[in-house]
Amino acid sequence: MRFRVSIIASAMTATIHKLKRLFAICLLLWMADGQERPNVIPTKSLPEGYVGNVVCRGCHPNVWQNFYKNPHYKSVAAGLSPETSGCEGCHGPAKKHVEAKGGKSTIRAFSILPAKAALNTCLTCHAKDINRHNIQRSGHTQANIACNTCHSIHKATTPKALLSAKQSELCVTCHASVKAQFAMPFKHRVNEGFMQCTDCHNPHGAAATVTRMSVRQRMMEHSQGNEQACIKCHADKRGPFAFEHVAVRVDGCEACHSPHGSMNAKLLRRPTTFTLCLECHNGANGFGRSTTGIPTQTASHNMADPRYQSCTTCHVRIHGSNTDPLFLR
Amino acid sequence: MQKLLFLVVVSTALILGQPTVSPTPQQAGTARGDNVGDYNITTSFETGYRFYTVDGNGGMYRSNVNLRNGIRLLGGSVTMNSKDGKGRYFDEINLTLQGLGSDPYQSVFLRMQKNRIYRYDFLWRTSDYFNPALSVSNGRHFLDTTRQLQDHDVTLFPQSKYRLFFGYSRNLQEGPGLSTVQYFDSRGDEFTLFANIHRLRNEYRMGAQAEFFGFGLNVLHGWENYSEVQTELLNSPSPGANPNDRVSLNSLQRIAPYQGSTPYWRASLIRNVGKIFQANGHFTYSNGQRDFTLAETADGISRNGAAANRQITLSGTGNRPASTGNVTLSLLPSDTLTITNHTSIYNIRISGDSTYREFNGGIANLALLSFQYLGIQTWSNQSDVSYRISKWIAAYGGYQHSDRRIRSIQYRDLERAKGLVPDEQTNKLDAGLFGLRFQPAKRFRFSIDSEVGRTDHPIYPISEKNYHSISGRAQWKTNRLTVASSYKTNYNFNSNALTAFSSRGRNASLNAVVAPTSWFNLDAGYSKIHLDTLSGLAYFQSGQLVTGNRSAYLSNIHAINISARLTLKKRVDIFGGFNRVQDVGDDRPSSGTSIPNTLINQIDSAAFATFQTFPLRFSSPQARISVRLRQKLRANFGYQYYGYNEKWITLQDYNAHTGYVSLTWAF
Repeated sequence: MRFRVSIIASAMTATIHKLKRLFAICLLLWMADGQERPNVIPTKSLPEGYVGNVVCRGCHPNVWQNFYKNPHYKSVAAGLSPETSGCEGCHGPAKKHVEAKGGKSTIRAFSILPAKAALNTCLTCHAKDINRHNIQRSGHTQANIACNTCHSIHKATTPKALLSAKQSELCVTCHASVKAQFAMPFKHRVNEGFMQCTDCHNPHGAAATVTRMSVRQRMMEHSQGNEQACIKCHADKRGPFAFEHVAVRVDGCEACHSPHGSMNAKLLRRPTTFTLCLECHNGANGFGRSTTGIPTQTASHNMADPRYQSCTTCHVRIHGSNTDPLFLR
Repeated sequence: MQKLLFLVVVSTALILGQPTVSPTPQQAGTARGDNVGDYNITTSFETGYRFYTVDGNGGMYRSNVNLRNGIRLLGGSVTMNSKDGKGRYFDEINLTLQGLGSDPYQSVFLRMQKNRIYRYDFLWRTSDYFNPALSVSNGRHFLDTTRQLQDHDVTLFPQSKYRLFFGYSRNLQEGPGLSTVQYFDSRGDEFTLFANIHRLRNEYRMGAQAEFFGFGLNVLHGWENYSEVQTELLNSPSPGANPNDRVSLNSLQRIAPYQGSTPYWRASLIRNVGKIFQANGHFTYSNGQRDFTLAETADGISRNGAAANRQITLSGTGNRPASTGNVTLSLLPSDTLTITNHTSIYNIRISGDSTYREFNGGIANLALLSFQYLGIQTWSNQSDVSYRISKWIAAYGGYQHSDRRIRSIQYRDLERAKGLVPDEQTNKLDAGLFGLRFQPAKRFRFSIDSEVGRTDHPIYPISEKNYHSISGRAQWKTNRLTVASSYKTNYNFNSNALTAFSSRGRNASLNAVVAPTSWFNLDAGYSKIHLDTLSGLAYFQSGQLVTGNRSAYLSNIHAINISARLTLKKRVDIFGGFNRVQDVGDDRPSSGTSIPNTLINQIDSAAFATFQTFPLRFSSPQARISVRLRQKLRANFGYQYYGYNEKWITLQDYNAHTGYVSLTWAF
């Protein structure tokens, strides 16, 4: 009797383990949306006009040979149908192309495709990505810059985003004045490989405005909490502080700094601090929180004396302070 | 020997190069890699010795460049790809390294993924941040810190309709620094303090994305923790920066721990499946809170020559809840027409209080409760229409209206705060956009963009008030030649009865890339960046308020870069280039000479004239040679010169020679 109970118990335990395993597998398969489908769709199930990847390999072996290293190979490995995977997933049905023995006019060739058509093709799969949900209204799209202007699917130099060149070289081919700024003595280290343009910018279109009021938001990539991109690295400037330098929150870091590069130390917009500070702190009516002017310094400051010309010597916590409304400590 | 090597390298290079000395881009060995089991593996490592010499201001060199002597892993990469996309534990591993050893900029990137199951991205970066005692703080501030940044991101089921995200980021800054304090009052002296800096930010996040009925919903929740413990000390008696006064300090200790958290939520709803109508919304809420305390003790001699000591204790809290949201509606009735409306709102409330207690000579002297509230609410709506008129011409136009309201309450001492009326400022912006795109030939395109904006109450004299921007771009692109040029102006006029501010920025650039053969290419560019501003000033000079003065700043930057790559018989790669950035200022021959007539009527104070322009030249020619020794082995040599030359204040000038010798090995 005892023996029988133990057999039943062990059988039940084994069954539970099997059920658990089965459940885990089912869950994985459901979440993975069909992981174990075959690689090649049988010819008889091909939709009208499609020929399948195998046919493409015959004439384009150089493209196919290393395609398994391409992120788009995932669709092939998953065994998705030709409309949504492999060569024809992007280039469209190839039957006419094969029958005509090639030619750009018989297939969706991105080299001759209008920018909007190229964008729409890519968005068929990539529209669901959150950082691209404003691409339709982005400055790049408005300027007729299609995906394949920056991305090279078959000859990429960066495996992560399939860019046609390193970001530090790619973006400046159009933004040449920014290239000059990164060559200045004081700059963010983009050329040095420490950071990339996309650390601060979203080339696919930014979301809400954070600071400033004008349209020109320069595709700024915000922090996860939708604050200025600068604080992602410069965490000590984020606050909150008991006493904020209002300019930082209202007009943003760019009120005083040139973010790409500058001829002035600390990426400042002026070579000395007092000219920078006094341009706002001049007491002119109509400005400031109370519209009575941004306060001037007190009579104890003698601007003819060089010791008063470096404001941040004393106002050390200029980005915000917890202890002093004048940012002295 | 090093100089001889420099000469050999320089004479071999045809043209000198522009980026920082960095790992040689050429890969050793075959790019296709080796097959091991079901995987294809490629590896490449470049290791060598870096060296430098500096003549002049070493502090400024460290601030700008900071390459030092030593053995480095200059660069490296490892990739593993499963050939059928069905690896057991992973389908791809991609590891990229740069500058490991003790280069000032080091990074490691790792991507590991199994198709449809998971994807893991890891980025580690560190920078050796050196900030010398720059003139902007009278030479009394200094930093020699390292900053380490890490980002870990895991995505589960990345190709599925249901995805999960987990992430962790860490940002650490540590090292010594110098700061200053003014004692014992606002007419006292400045004293240099040693600062021990430790700042740490940790961020944890998790989220999910689901797609249903044509919608995508993405939700992310994160927690950011920040702590800062900065101790500042004056260990030995100091007469202060001004030896002519009687103020001195015997000692000062200050510790100011500061910490808190910022939990945040982000939710996005996307609908991009429709061909005619698309919509998305994006909402965030974060609630930052920081607690702080400060304890400071100092003793010395006051301005009156009397012995003085002061203790300060302070504590308080800062809060900043921020809500943002935006909704974008796009209508695409045809392939040629796109109509978009974008609405966004940004609402932030900052409040902080601090209790300040001061003891002078052991007697309670001052107790203050300070409070500050700052609320900023910005609402913005923009509509734009983009229409392709024909195959070669397209136009777009838009209109934006923004409304910003700022409320502020601040006081010290509760009793005096009774009946205080909060400050309030509102500002409205109306802006229009217009642009044209032309593509008369397949390889040629040009565009014109413009924006005009008006605001009624800009918050600062330098804020945008009456501004316009016009820019144009032209590009000719073939497989072997790309020529691009751009021109942009940004003008802003912001003035009232008492002051005037104008800012005029003009950028022009021309860039060409020629690649006539597979073994040669040439890249050359020129940029002119101009900025002139005119501002109203008010300041005190010898106790007298000076008003009505103006300050004019002028910057004229010319930047040129040229670089070339040459491959000889698939065995030798030569890269070289030249880069130079020069601000010619207002063309004055020296700071002591008179300013040009064009500016003479705009600058009223001689005290400011010196600082109206800052002529400076920074040049960095470079050469790299890479020679294939064997199938999978290359030898590399690199050299770069940096010359920093200020025209008027030459104390910060330097000339630096940097270089490296390395081997690139693939196995």
